Amino acid sequence: MKKILFAVLVMTSVFSNAQDVKSDTIKAVSVDSLQTTTVDSVKTATIESLKESLDEHSMKFSGLEERLATMDGDLAKLTKIKFSGYLQAQYEMYNFQDNIGPGPSTTAVPIKNTFFIRRARVKLTYEPITGAVFVIQPDYAFDKVTLRDAYVQVNDRWIQTFKLFLGQFNRTSYEVEFSSRSRELLERSRMSGILYPQERDLGAKIEMDLQTKYEIPFKFQLAVFNGNYGEGSLTNNLRDVDNKKDVMMRGVYSFTFPSQGLGIDIGAHTYLGNTAVLQAGTFSDVNNNNFTAKVGDSFQKRWFGGEMRVYYDFLGGMSLKGEYISGQISGEKSTTLLPVANSNPSFNFNGIRDFTGYYATLVKNIGKSNQLAVRYDSWDPNRHLAGNAVTIKEDLKYDNWSFSWQYFYDDNVKIVAGYSLPINEKSTTVGGDYIKDKLDNTFTIRIQAGF
Amino acid sequence: MKTTKIKLAAILLVVMAVGVSFTALNKITVKGSDTMVILSQKWAEVYMQKHPGASIQVTGGGSGVGLAALINGSTDIANSSRPIKATEVEKLKARYSTLGVEIPCAKDGLSVYLNKANGVSELTIKQIGLIFAGKITNWKQVGGVDANIRLYGRESSSGTFAFFKDNVVKTDYSPSCQTLPGTAAIVNAVKKDKLGIGYGGAAYAEGVKDCKVKKDDKSPGVYPTAETIKNKTYPISRYLYMYLKSRPTGETKAFVDWILSAEGQKLVVETGYFPVK
Repeated sequence: MKKILFAVLVMTSVFSNAQDVKSDTIKAVSVDSLQTTTVDSVKTATIESLKESLDEHSMKFSGLEERLATMDGDLAKLTKIKFSGYLQAQYEMYNFQDNIGPGPSTTAVPIKNTFFIRRARVKLTYEPITGAVFVIQPDYAFDKVTLRDAYVQVNDRWIQTFKLFLGQFNRTSYEVEFSSRSRELLERSRMSGILYPQERDLGAKIEMDLQTKYEIPFKFQLAVFNGNYGEGSLTNNLRDVDNKKDVMMRGVYSFTFPSQGLGIDIGAHTYLGNTAVLQAGTFSDVNNNNFTAKVGDSFQKRWFGGEMRVYYDFLGGMSLKGEYISGQISGEKSTTLLPVANSNPSFNFNGIRDFTGYYATLVKNIGKSNQLAVRYDSWDPNRHLAGNAVTIKEDLKYDNWSFSWQYFYDDNVKIVAGYSLPINEKSTTVGGDYIKDKLDNTFTIRIQAGF
Repeated sequence: MKTTKIKLAAILLVVMAVGVSFTALNKITVKGSDTMVILSQKWAEVYMQKHPGASIQVTGGGSGVGLAALINGSTDIANSSRPIKATEVEKLKARYSTLGVEIPCAKDGLSVYLNKANGVSELTIKQIGLIFAGKITNWKQVGGVDANIRLYGRESSSGTFAFFKDNVVKTDYSPSCQTLPGTAAIVNAVKKDKLGIGYGGAAYAEGVKDCKVKKDDKSPGVYPTAETIKNKTYPISRYLYMYLKSRPTGETKAFVDWILSAEGQKLVVETGYFPVK
């Protein structure tokens, strides 16, 4: 019975479905035509939509490419600008503060220690095309911003040997050009500070380097400067105070003995300049005898120096660096003209002096992160007089011991502990503090961070 | 009494610091040339298998990056596919009071890669230089089809970039030269681009064809092979170097000595470069 009922139901459903087809309003078409039409229409629709989609994506890609090219161009410009800089923050302890600092008096309440920002510099270098460089480096002291470097450098593109500098840059001496961020000791020698105040001057320099093109390790520099930068107030650093230009030359040859791990740099430099008398008055000669000079008179300012550096790969590296300079220096301090000219803030005198100065520095690397350095430097501003024959403190000879321990914390940070012991020549004629060695030792802890 | 104590403490401090600084770990870091990275990794791998106590970490980044790392103390060995520059030696002098130690450890022929479909198969050094300087811009100018040349090169931190510039291009690269971050990327680009030309280590030339290089118009074209690089007839060959800040000691010395031994130099050949001995 169940089987009969099931068969009836199946047949009823088949009939009802057949009725649906018959009652459909769509006209019957042949199978071939139906297939062709359907497939073609599908094909047409797909290709068109694909084309549209492709066009759309192509346009999007073109747009992106254009944007990318613009960004690429902008990025390429940015890579031509380089920022670097460093900050030296330090804590100092000393026996004596040499009339500097914020206090109204350093004698009533002697200042024995201080925190201090020694340097805070940012160097901006822009090289729009290979071989043309623009450099600007301000120094941000806590009370003022001063311009340290500002020059254009053009490298010769033909024989790749010469570089021309124009603007404000370091004078051509080893110790001056050796960046203070890399220096092993906290300060330069007294000699460099006096001969090259503020290290820089305004002028032009041609540098010849035979290493790159000819593999001859010889470097020669010829510079012409105004000759008064760093002397007197900053205002007189803007222009030359006389028409005379000072000339500097320096040559260095590097010997290398790779199998011994030895390198020796030998060089010499000279400074050929003048001091123009801007206000007539009484001056003193090399023997400290007085004479009168009139406006426009010219005193010599010229010296010659030899330098040598030995690098030896001994237990991780050590070096011995030395420089000796001798000649005549001149200046004036009593001029009341503004801007004050030819007045060396590190060494004030009215006249001409024959001087001698030198230093020897020993540096030893200890492992990857530590370095020890010791330097002995000497500055005799008046080599014709000694002891009690010296009548003014500016003519006293100074010898100086400096020690430092550097710890390289990482690529950018180093910690330096340093101690300096200046030993002055004693003279009862000068009197005061100078009848014995003045207490002016300094201990410094410095952190230098650079980028 | 007080001064004596301070002196004693200072001496003790110095002795301790010196002692600590020489108590180096067995870990050696190697950084630099991308051309050398596969070779260097192979050296490190085999050396560590043979010396289980040693730990050698190798990374690339380019010769300039490796030498900068050596100068700032963040690597023991810098791999470089170009000689160290005078300015870099000056930095080593300033930081470590040494001139650095140069160890030529392999030789490499610098291939000029062409797409296999390219009709051009040989070029003079001058032509290659002019192509990469952007002075020759159409393949037709060097005997190929009438189509623009597409240039692929390395980024400026690469020693290969510097070596190719100094010895072949001899001026600035064309601004249209697309810079890619590694020799493998250059090979891949030339493989896909019928109009492409690139340069890089001979060991990488897979899926592309080496261009025969002629010293001048009259010289025969030469492929970079072991023979032609050894007898110096292939005109663009160079040394690959390892640089250290000072003469190696301890594990570093053992590693360097092993690299220069027959065993280490055998790996040079296996990696597709050429031995120094």
